[in-house]
Amino acid sequence: MSEIRQIAIYGKGGIGKSTTTQNLTAGLVEHGKKVMVVGCDPKADSTRLLLGGLAQKTVLDTIREEGEDVELDRIMKTGFGGTKCVESGGPEPGVGCAGRGIITSINMLENLGAYTDELDYVFYDVLGDVVCGGFAMPIREGKAKEIYIVASGEMMALYAANNISKGIQRYARTGGVRLGGIICNSRNVDRELDLLRAFSKELGTKLLYFVPRDNVVQHAEINKKTVIEYKPDSNQAQEYRNLAQAVIDNTDFVIPTPMTQERLEEILMEYGMMELADDYKI
Amino acid sequence: MAINLSNSNIATRENRIGSITGYIGTLKDLATQSSCGTLKGCSRCFSQSSTCLSACGLSQLAAIRDVAIIHHGPAGCSVTGASSYYMSKVMAKKRGVTSDTVFVGTDMNENDTIFGSTATLKSVILEVNKRYSPKAIFVSSSCATGIIGEDIDSIVDEVRDEVGVPIVAVHCEGFKSRIWATGFDIADHAVLQEIVQPPREGVKSNKINFKNFFESARPEIIEIFKKFDLEPVFLYCNSTVEELSHLSESLATTCICGTLGNYLGNALEEKYGVPYVRSINQCGISGYEAWLREIGKVTGRLEAVEKYIAEEREKWLPQIEEVKKELKGLTAVLGMGPGYTFEVSRVLDELGIKVVWALAWHYDKKYENGDVPPSMQYLLDNDIDFEASVADQQNYEVMNILNKYKPDMYLSRHPGSTVWAIKNGTPAIYVADEYMIFGYKHTLEFAKTIVDAIKNRSFEENLAKRTKLPYTDWWYQQNVDEFLEEAK
Repeated sequence: MSEIRQIAIYGKGGIGKSTTTQNLTAGLVEHGKKVMVVGCDPKADSTRLLLGGLAQKTVLDTIREEGEDVELDRIMKTGFGGTKCVESGGPEPGVGCAGRGIITSINMLENLGAYTDELDYVFYDVLGDVVCGGFAMPIREGKAKEIYIVASGEMMALYAANNISKGIQRYARTGGVRLGGIICNSRNVDRELDLLRAFSKELGTKLLYFVPRDNVVQHAEINKKTVIEYKPDSNQAQEYRNLAQAVIDNTDFVIPTPMTQERLEEILMEYGMMELADDYKI
Repeated sequence: MAINLSNSNIATRENRIGSITGYIGTLKDLATQSSCGTLKGCSRCFSQSSTCLSACGLSQLAAIRDVAIIHHGPAGCSVTGASSYYMSKVMAKKRGVTSDTVFVGTDMNENDTIFGSTATLKSVILEVNKRYSPKAIFVSSSCATGIIGEDIDSIVDEVRDEVGVPIVAVHCEGFKSRIWATGFDIADHAVLQEIVQPPREGVKSNKINFKNFFESARPEIIEIFKKFDLEPVFLYCNSTVEELSHLSESLATTCICGTLGNYLGNALEEKYGVPYVRSINQCGISGYEAWLREIGKVTGRLEAVEKYIAEEREKWLPQIEEVKKELKGLTAVLGMGPGYTFEVSRVLDELGIKVVWALAWHYDKKYENGDVPPSMQYLLDNDIDFEASVADQQNYEVMNILNKYKPDMYLSRHPGSTVWAIKNGTPAIYVADEYMIFGYKHTLEFAKTIVDAIKNRSFEENLAKRTKLPYTDWWYQQNVDEFLEEAK
């Protein structure tokens, strides 16, 4: 039995981390892999597409209401293709400490023995930027060893990706965590592929996969399904299968080399603008 | 700096008045640099533990009679409440009054930290109010609640009408300042925000607000003040909320320790025009006289004060002069808070003892009114200089100094500090009581205590022979500033 590949997915808020993670998971399942997805976002919407809705109680709500003596099956539901789904949960917006919540719930999952040997992959879908120690929990203490950053050709997405890389670099020095690559969730901006390739190279990593933009993703989301479940024959379903294959085959794990703000802006200037880019007509 | 009572969160001493915890040099340099604004504190690459501002601030408030301190934090953070509670009961008993002050922790747990627990806090406040009927409620944050941003201000506002007594949020996150005296200011700020009321119209007062620690000289000072038709109001130990509410009506504010009283004194002056007596403190002859004269000046009683000074001088000075003969030429090192260390240095100088090194546990570049602390100004004006350092009770530095200078005595005001000196073979004087050197009488007693301490040194010598301290010879050979890092 090979070691479980524990993977954390980071990226700017709203970039499509949860969507990408769940569709990627569906792709892995089709490859016969056993996957667990741990949502690390107080909104608890990281497993909605796999479960067909916000179908489960979060770890933190369960602890709060039932005490710490909880059984694993109270907080873990089975979703599409046998995936195991967990939501860490967290406080209401504006109160408490979501970061501390992630620390508590991940420790709880470990204590409950959620990481069983038959698993091939564990995904941590982490909220937005690595704003504090709590959100870095999945990459600390030997948990996730692999990280993928979801980004697009938009300036702020790259800015966030660079910032996240700083966090990875910090923990890479002491732990085994490495960056596996950038996944582009395309926004159809100018020269997006070139820009993402250049950005990834500067970070010392590679563009693992370029997921094109397709409206079927939106349709699948409305139907509370992954694209693979909703339209298995669509082109986009194949894109996610390819992404899954790219993750399976990936062996390039690096300590990222985050860039200065000036360098990031240079890259954007070089790749992020097409001629007459301002001449945009609706 | 203007005092802003509309915000419950008061800036730290470091931010407000440029206080520092790391410096080594001379008194003159320290004072000159602080008056011309060039003084910068150093940090240390090695530092021993110090004291928490939260314990300091909340113990001040817990000393007020019949109030409730609600400490919003994990049980471990509230643990200093036990000693504050005990101290307030002992002090009340000592004076023969009762205090029903309670100290309650909200016992935050893991879930409370994640989800926030302002709802619990609210119910605790209401329950405490119902159960103990306190005269005022102080709701304090802790490190944990500070980090997660618990909105204690809103909760306090929400319950204000329901509890019907003064209630105030006290922001006591221990990590925000290295200087525990920031806690004194936090306590003052809370009292000023909610307890102190504007002066009542037509009320004529002969009171002097007297900020001190444990009011041990209370009867004596009441008697002295009677001579001038003045009445001291001691705070906060055994104060009542009613007394505190009228602080704005007093003729003046004074304090036993500049570090302790500076914020309250300045704020009462700034907000209500109550003069703050900014003399050197009451220790020793020059201090006592300067203080009395200043009180005489601000209350219009200078003539009576001069008469009193003349009488007392006659009675006490010959006795003090007599003891001084035995002290001439002795050397001393002292380590105290900045409110005391430079005052006691002055007294030692008066008594003919040579201060070779004075450590202040922190140093305020200036006070709230922008001036260099009066004790420093006095030493400068009188051309008194010696080596001085600022170290937040870094005991290893004290031990290094004691070994280098081998003084005849070490003086400290903080528990434990003198014990180390004694184990090192250095006679030590524990200046625990804040009135130990107050006025002529206690200056004489203090001088006699020093004579006692240095005359027979066999205790220290024998103890030192049988004690192995943890410091290596290497450390004793280093400069005192070995671990001090360049000022930024």
